[in-house]
Amino acid sequence: MKLIPKKKKKETQYIAVSTHGKKYRIVNPFSEELKINGRKEEVKIFEDNDGFTYLEYKNKKYLAEITEKNQNKFTVLLNGVSYSFTIESPISYRRRKYLEKYKQVSKTETINAPMPGKIIEMLVDVNAIVKEGDAILILEAMKMQNEISTHVSGKVIKINVRPGDNVTKDQVMLEIER
Amino acid sequence: MKITSILIANRGEIAVRINETAKKMGIKTYGIKTSKEPNALYLRLVDDVIDFSESAEEIPEFLDIERIIEAAKTFKIDSIHPGYGFLAENPYFARRCQEEKIIFIGPSDTAIYKMGNKTIAKQIAMRHNIPLLQGSQGNVRNEKEAADMAEKIGYPVILKAASGGGGRGMRIVENATQIEKMFKMATGEAEKAFNDPSVFLEKYVRNPRHIEFQIVGDQHGNCIHLGERECSIQRKHQKLIEESPSAALDEKLRAEMGDCAVRIAKAVDYYSAGTVEFLLDDDRNFFFMEMNTRIQVEHPVTEMVSGLDLIELQIRIAEGQKLPLAQEDVKLNGWAIECRINAEDVQAGFSPNLGIIEKISLPRGKNIRIDSGVSDYSVVTPYFDSMLAKLIIHAETREKAVAATIAALKKCMIKGIKTTIPFCLKVMNNTKFRKADFNTSFIEKELDTLFHQEPEDEMLAAYVAAFDFAADLETDRITIVDFERGKNISPWVLNKRLKSL
Repeated sequence: MKLIPKKKKKETQYIAVSTHGKKYRIVNPFSEELKINGRKEEVKIFEDNDGFTYLEYKNKKYLAEITEKNQNKFTVLLNGVSYSFTIESPISYRRRKYLEKYKQVSKTETINAPMPGKIIEMLVDVNAIVKEGDAILILEAMKMQNEISTHVSGKVIKINVRPGDNVTKDQVMLEIER
Repeated sequence: MKITSILIANRGEIAVRINETAKKMGIKTYGIKTSKEPNALYLRLVDDVIDFSESAEEIPEFLDIERIIEAAKTFKIDSIHPGYGFLAENPYFARRCQEEKIIFIGPSDTAIYKMGNKTIAKQIAMRHNIPLLQGSQGNVRNEKEAADMAEKIGYPVILKAASGGGGRGMRIVENATQIEKMFKMATGEAEKAFNDPSVFLEKYVRNPRHIEFQIVGDQHGNCIHLGERECSIQRKHQKLIEESPSAALDEKLRAEMGDCAVRIAKAVDYYSAGTVEFLLDDDRNFFFMEMNTRIQVEHPVTEMVSGLDLIELQIRIAEGQKLPLAQEDVKLNGWAIECRINAEDVQAGFSPNLGIIEKISLPRGKNIRIDSGVSDYSVVTPYFDSMLAKLIIHAETREKAVAATIAALKKCMIKGIKTTIPFCLKVMNNTKFRKADFNTSFIEKELDTLFHQEPEDEMLAAYVAAFDFAADLETDRITIVDFERGKNISPWVLNKRLKSL
C-alpha cells in the first residue's frame, strides 16, 4: 500500500497598485477563498441580460466595466468613476520595487493636453523659466477658452504646438526641464 | 393660424422633447439629419426627416438660416421651433421666418434683439427701475477704459460678452494686474463664439445665487411668471443641477422678483416662453442679469411644479392664442430637481468624453422624468454639446426630492462613456446642499472631490482588474492542457473563455 500525499492547492496571488500608490493584495480571485489585503471577501461578478457587468458585494450592486487594458495596466470604471491599476505577481512586484531604488529620476516633464481642442495662444517661449501654476497656453475646447498651466517649475525646452493647431487629449504640447 | 407642421431646427434631447409635445397636439414633425449624427435618436422619432447630410456646407447645419428656411418652404412646413442654442436667439432668423410666412415658435425678432444684446437689455431694465449691478453703461472699448472703469466701481469686476451666454466670453478680474490679459481673453472668446468682440464690465458679486424666473406671454399683451428656478450649482458658469422652487425665496420675495421679471418682459412686448435671470446676494438683494429669449434646458423643473407643458404653450402662443391662465391661476406644487447627464469626464476636469454609448438604461417610474436624446449605440461626437439626457425628479418636499434623486441616479446605467452622474451624486450627498445652503461658488468651495465614491469602491475595482488579468493568464495556461483537465476549468475561466470566443 502506498500513501498518496494530498497536494496542497497553491494560492494564486496578484498585486494591484493604484495610480496614487495604494496596494491591494488579491488572493485566489476565482475561488470562494478570495482574500483582499488579508481579509476574506465575498464578491460576485455577473452579467445581466442587458449586457451590463455587475459586482455584488455585501448585498449591494456595482456597475463595472473595464475601459482600458494594456498588458498589465487596467482602467476600471466602477459606478461611473475610473480607477487605474498595475497588476503584477508578487515576484514581479518585489523585483520592480527593488529596481525602482536605482532608477534615474527623469528630469523632463511633459505638459499634455488635458482635453481635445485647439491652441489659441502660446503664453511662453522656448527657454522661458516657468513656475508651477503659471499659465503657459490657451486651449479652446467646446468653444471655451481654457488657460493651461504647468504642474512643474523649470525651463521650457521644447514646444511641439503652435497657435491654430488642433490637439488630441494627452498630446504632448511642451516639455519642461526641472 | 393653426400650426399643422413643425420643423424642429435642433437635435438631441430638445428635439425629442419638442417632437413629443407636437405629436401629442396632432402636429406633424420634421427633423434635420446631419452627417455628423446620422443615427441620432430624434431622427427615429420625428414623422419625417429632411436630409442635410448629402451635401456638406461651410455653415453648420443647425446654423444655416437659408438652408433651414428653404427646407421649410420646400416641404410646406408651417412653423419652425428652434429649441435652445443654435438659432434660438438669432433675431435675423426670426425675421427671415416672418418674411417667408413661416411661424417662428418663439418671441418676436425685436424682443430677441433687444434682450439678446445685454447692453440694450440693461438700459431697458434701468428705465423700468429693475435693480441692476453697477457697471459700464455700454461696451468697453479697450483695456484702458476697462481698467479705469474697474478702478471706479472697485474690484472684483466681471467682463462679459455683449452677445454672450452660457458662460462663454466671461472673465472675472480680481485685481488691476489681470485686467489687460482678461480683457484680451474675453474679447477673443466673444469674437470666436458670437462673432462680436464687444464686452461690457460690471461689479462682480461674490457668492451669489443664480435665480431665474420663467415667464410666458401671449401676443395680446398678457404676461405671467411661473415661479423661479434655482440654478446656483454651476461650474464655469455652466449649469449642472437645477431645482424649482428655490429655498432662498419666500412668497414676498418671489412676488417681488416675479413682478420685475414680468415688467421687463412687458417692456419689450415679449411673447412666448422666456427666462429672466437674477443674481441674489446674501442680503437678499437681487439684480437683473439678462433675459433668455428661448426655452431653457432646465424648463422641465418648472413644468413639474406648475403642471404646464411649456412647449405646448409656446406653440399655442405662436398660433396667436391667448394665455390659458392668469397669474392667480398659477399653482406651484412640490419640489423638482433636474440633473444634467453630460458625457464628461469629471475626473479629468469635466473634459468631453467622446465615444459610443454601448448601453444605456435610465430609471422609469412615478415622479421620475427622463428627457433623453440618446439610446444604445448613440455616438457622442465632438461637434455638439455634451449633454446626453436630463433626469428630473418631482416630490412633495425638497428633502424627498433629494432622496429620490439619489435613488434614481444610482439606477442610471451607462456603458461605454463617462458621465456627470458621479458628480450629481456627490452634490446630492453634500450636507450643505441638503440644507439648501449654497451659492454659485458651491462646487469650488464645498466639494473635496468632484465625484461620489464609497469607501469600498477602489478595492472592488482592483478586484475586477486582478480578476480579468488572472483570467487571461489562466486561459493561456489551460488551453494547452485542455483535454486532460477539461473538468477542472474554473467556471469563471470558462465564462471568460466563452465570452472571448
